[in-house]
Amino acid sequence: MELLALLLIPLVAGSILLVARPAAATARGLAFTSTLLTLAVVLWLWYNWTGDAVTVLSRDWVPAWGLRLSFGYSGIGLLMLVLTGVLYPFIIATGYKQPVGDASLVNALLLYCQAALFGVFMVQNAILFYIFFETSLIPIFFLLLRWGGEHKRAITVRFFLYTLMGGLALLFSIAYTTLQAPGHSADFSALAAANIPLATQKWLFWTMFLAFAIKMPVFPFHSWQPETYTMAPTQGTMVLSAIMGKMGIYGIVAFLYPILPEGTAYWQDFVIWLCLIGALYAAVIAFRQENFKRLVAYSSMSHLGLMAAALFTWNAYGISGGLYQTFAHGVLMICLFYIVGMMNLRVGSNRFADMGGLKTRMFRFALMFMLIVGNAISMPLTQSFPGEWLMFNGLWQLNHWMALAGVVLIILGAVYMLYAYQRVLLGPDRDVPIADADDQEHFFLVPLILIIFLVGLFPNLALSLVDGPVQHLLNAIPPLP
Amino acid sequence: MVRMDLLATLVPALPLLGTLVTGFGRRKLSAYAAGGLASAMVGLSFVCSLVLFLGHDGGTHIVHLFNWITVADMNIPFAFQIDALSLWMMLFVTGVATLIHIYSIGYMHDDPRVATFFAQLNLFTFAMMLLVMGSNFLVTFIGWEGVGLCSYLLIGFWYTNPGYNYAGRKAFVMNRIGDVGMVLAMTLMFLQFGTLEYAQIMDKAGSFGAGNPILVMCTLLLFLGATGKSAQIPLLTWLPDAMAGPTPVSALIHAATMVTAGVFLVVRSSVLYELAPYTQEVVLWIGVATALFGATVGLFQNDIKKVLAYSTVSQLGYMFAAVGVGAYSAGMFHVTTHAFFKALLFLGAGSVIHALGGEQDIRRMGGLRNKTKTTYITFLVATLAIAGIPPLSGFFSKDGILAGTFEGHPVAWAILVLAAVFTSVYMFRLLFLTFFGTYRGTASPHESPRVMTIPLVILAVLSAIGGVLNIPHVFGGNEWMKQHLMTAVDGVLNEHLSITAGTEFTLMGITLVLVLLGAWYAWKLYGGKTTLDGEPDDMPFLKRLIARKWMLDELYAYLVERPFGWLSRHFFSIGEDKLAVPLTAGVGETSYRFGDWLRKIHTGNTSLYLFAMMLGVVVLLLITWMGA
Repeated sequence: MELLALLLIPLVAGSILLVARPAAATARGLAFTSTLLTLAVVLWLWYNWTGDAVTVLSRDWVPAWGLRLSFGYSGIGLLMLVLTGVLYPFIIATGYKQPVGDASLVNALLLYCQAALFGVFMVQNAILFYIFFETSLIPIFFLLLRWGGEHKRAITVRFFLYTLMGGLALLFSIAYTTLQAPGHSADFSALAAANIPLATQKWLFWTMFLAFAIKMPVFPFHSWQPETYTMAPTQGTMVLSAIMGKMGIYGIVAFLYPILPEGTAYWQDFVIWLCLIGALYAAVIAFRQENFKRLVAYSSMSHLGLMAAALFTWNAYGISGGLYQTFAHGVLMICLFYIVGMMNLRVGSNRFADMGGLKTRMFRFALMFMLIVGNAISMPLTQSFPGEWLMFNGLWQLNHWMALAGVVLIILGAVYMLYAYQRVLLGPDRDVPIADADDQEHFFLVPLILIIFLVGLFPNLALSLVDGPVQHLLNAIPPLP
Repeated sequence: MVRMDLLATLVPALPLLGTLVTGFGRRKLSAYAAGGLASAMVGLSFVCSLVLFLGHDGGTHIVHLFNWITVADMNIPFAFQIDALSLWMMLFVTGVATLIHIYSIGYMHDDPRVATFFAQLNLFTFAMMLLVMGSNFLVTFIGWEGVGLCSYLLIGFWYTNPGYNYAGRKAFVMNRIGDVGMVLAMTLMFLQFGTLEYAQIMDKAGSFGAGNPILVMCTLLLFLGATGKSAQIPLLTWLPDAMAGPTPVSALIHAATMVTAGVFLVVRSSVLYELAPYTQEVVLWIGVATALFGATVGLFQNDIKKVLAYSTVSQLGYMFAAVGVGAYSAGMFHVTTHAFFKALLFLGAGSVIHALGGEQDIRRMGGLRNKTKTTYITFLVATLAIAGIPPLSGFFSKDGILAGTFEGHPVAWAILVLAAVFTSVYMFRLLFLTFFGTYRGTASPHESPRVMTIPLVILAVLSAIGGVLNIPHVFGGNEWMKQHLMTAVDGVLNEHLSITAGTEFTLMGITLVLVLLGAWYAWKLYGGKTTLDGEPDDMPFLKRLIARKWMLDELYAYLVERPFGWLSRHFFSIGEDKLAVPLTAGVGETSYRFGDWLRKIHTGNTSLYLFAMMLGVVVLLLITWMGA
């Protein structure tokens, strides 16, 4: 019932907006209210969660294709639902201060996307997963195509086809595995029971991983990301970085581990190194970026690389830490891209050259930005720290050189974030009229900052969701050599 | 027990409360209200520490607040460990911090952001308390990173100066380099011991036997963290630059408390270090080398705060030399006395700078002993103390270190004595150039207000008599500090000095004579100077090399900073612009044409995309179905 509500509330609200085309204020109000409703629903689910996997619906739909209506969630899926539910009100609220185009249409697209994202995290059937996975792309595609920045057409179409390509590879592997599964069902549980020989798993791994690697993205499948994030309107970037990238993370746990355990084990070292190299590479690039938004894009890529690496470690610390971090990273991305948007609103560009020397006029903003920077460089007692700590533990358990590569990121993160902070705010006072954060912006960021510290102080709020399911997952799969 | 839990929680909680109130009330609070409130919070924290200290029964008490990180078999509590070591740190840190807070009321009262300053100073105290009170490495690490952040914020407090901002970032990043060691050490220890609680790790470490490579690895990595925080070779160049911060910050953070965190960490983990003799050697020699390094560079500095900064580097070297030879109580003793006299020196320097309207160059000072009498007398006491003139505190604490090193490492002892002579020279040079001779500047010097001089007087008393904390047996003392720490620091149990009283007196005599010679030499060169022709800017090569900290900054610029910037630019311009994007441009090109084509036949029609996608799904599934 609750899951149905999660799908229907945004769909209905979005459809009303499309059909009725109300004035901008009404449109935003309606969209915001609907996201508050979904927030209430996910919090309700969280509150009532007992620790066991929940199956809501399991019924044949198109038996010949293995397509079944399987809905439900474990703690991992619930964390993703919570992530989507908590972040979406902020994404919609961004439209109040940083509007793009036709409010009805923009919000309708965002809400459709939300419905699809909820769908991705609540289905228990691979084909259904694929349908939601690709559907979520469509509203974003239009958002970017219509309201993107420079070169929006070329970049958007490239992004769309790039990810679609990954998606098709995923579809192929789903279809292939379904044939091997008992009863030709595409339910995750059935796919996990499929007996796929190692030789097949080795190549099948890449057809599945490709989709997730592009979506997150990890090196070297990232070339669409920086320019897409930079070009997209703020709300689009937020959806992409804070939530859609997490579909890739979720996919690793939902698909690769259970379905292709031996194939994953075979590629484990290679993929972890790939992710870590990408994380380091992006962090190094971020330092000298001249564009604030692109710097945040590279920092996102760096963080995601570490998360992906941790997920492949195949131990409780790595996986729990990586999953926990999806939430922390989502909150961080909303904060940072909102801040980029605030600066853009004030100086008219995303370039550091147009900023600097503004702190004297922006004390309120400076304080909030500094707290968020603290989260970005994972200071203890902010949300990011427990996740990173767990990920480093997971990596060390596998190989201490991997842990070293991961831990070096805490230096690089400090290097580029503090430099970015300096270039945005510090330096000789620049004599330009500029407004400090107003009340609306203040009330946007303060709840996020409260979340940052609340979860930083009590990370078990989020960790307790994934801890049990992750151990269950590890127990279900034989330990690797 | 409930009372102890409450008091222990209040010790960090009060400064945190102060941060919140002064921070959020920064627009409403007057300079005096903010300063008074912040000082009161730290003062109350000191009182709580004192009550705990006086009521301490010599045992180890864990104050468990809540479970912080719980995953699988990992459970890291948010808990404090109240024992002789943490109590001692709490006591002197909050004590010195209170005095420096009060001093700052006078020093900072004209600054427009004075409330922010106090908020950050309070936050620092909070973080420092977590650092020393944590019952496990991870809680200590909260404080460890927290003090680093406060240090960054306060170094760059005057943010309109790009050089200060750079200094702040440099401090933070160099500390982060050390933190890599710290984090890796913690992961290694967790995987080896299954816990991060100090008490449990120290219990379990015994089963590893001395010289075990895992312990060597752990201790070396921890020590890397310590070199960052405590400005030891090779991670020391941030500390002199950190003098960009307001002077009370230099006194509190970059002299008296934060920089001794590395020493504290080694003492806290004494059991591990005792089992890793190889690491102890490393700690000793890094400490000795840093002591000499700092003392030589200090000889040629003309900025009053820079002299003191290199002096701090050098004195921290002494402390590491002490813990390197296993003389933990001597190390902690020097941590304490150094906190008194170095805080006093910095606050005195601040008073001088205040008196001269911001002048920091000692070549434009002189003759201040009549104009700023209290500052002069207290500064003199501190100089005598740091130089090691009996019976002031520095004499006893430095003597403990020297006696400890002489036994097994006479070469180290000799170098440390040499560094002590240099210390005497640069400190008396500083004293003579500042307070003796005639005034060479243009400002009109005046004594600082009471709110600044009273803390100076209190610290001067402590610097003078601080030696009583650990009077050695040869003087009929009972080594109170050693007895006190023995209950908490297992390493102290292994301390035993086998040199005879005669040898010890001889060593003291040698050191004292050489130190006095150093003072005399400084007097001959700098005493009573009216003009300063002997200190030109163009010095001979060796002098210049030493004065520029042996070119360490230049070395790092060429070896690290520039290559990193180059890499960052070229990863982007080559890796991204020339490789990643063009290589996937095939997709881009095709897609662009595909997009054009789509636009021609159907102008961005949602249903088409959906339809095409569903069609694809259907076709693929049909194929697989037929195949089955």
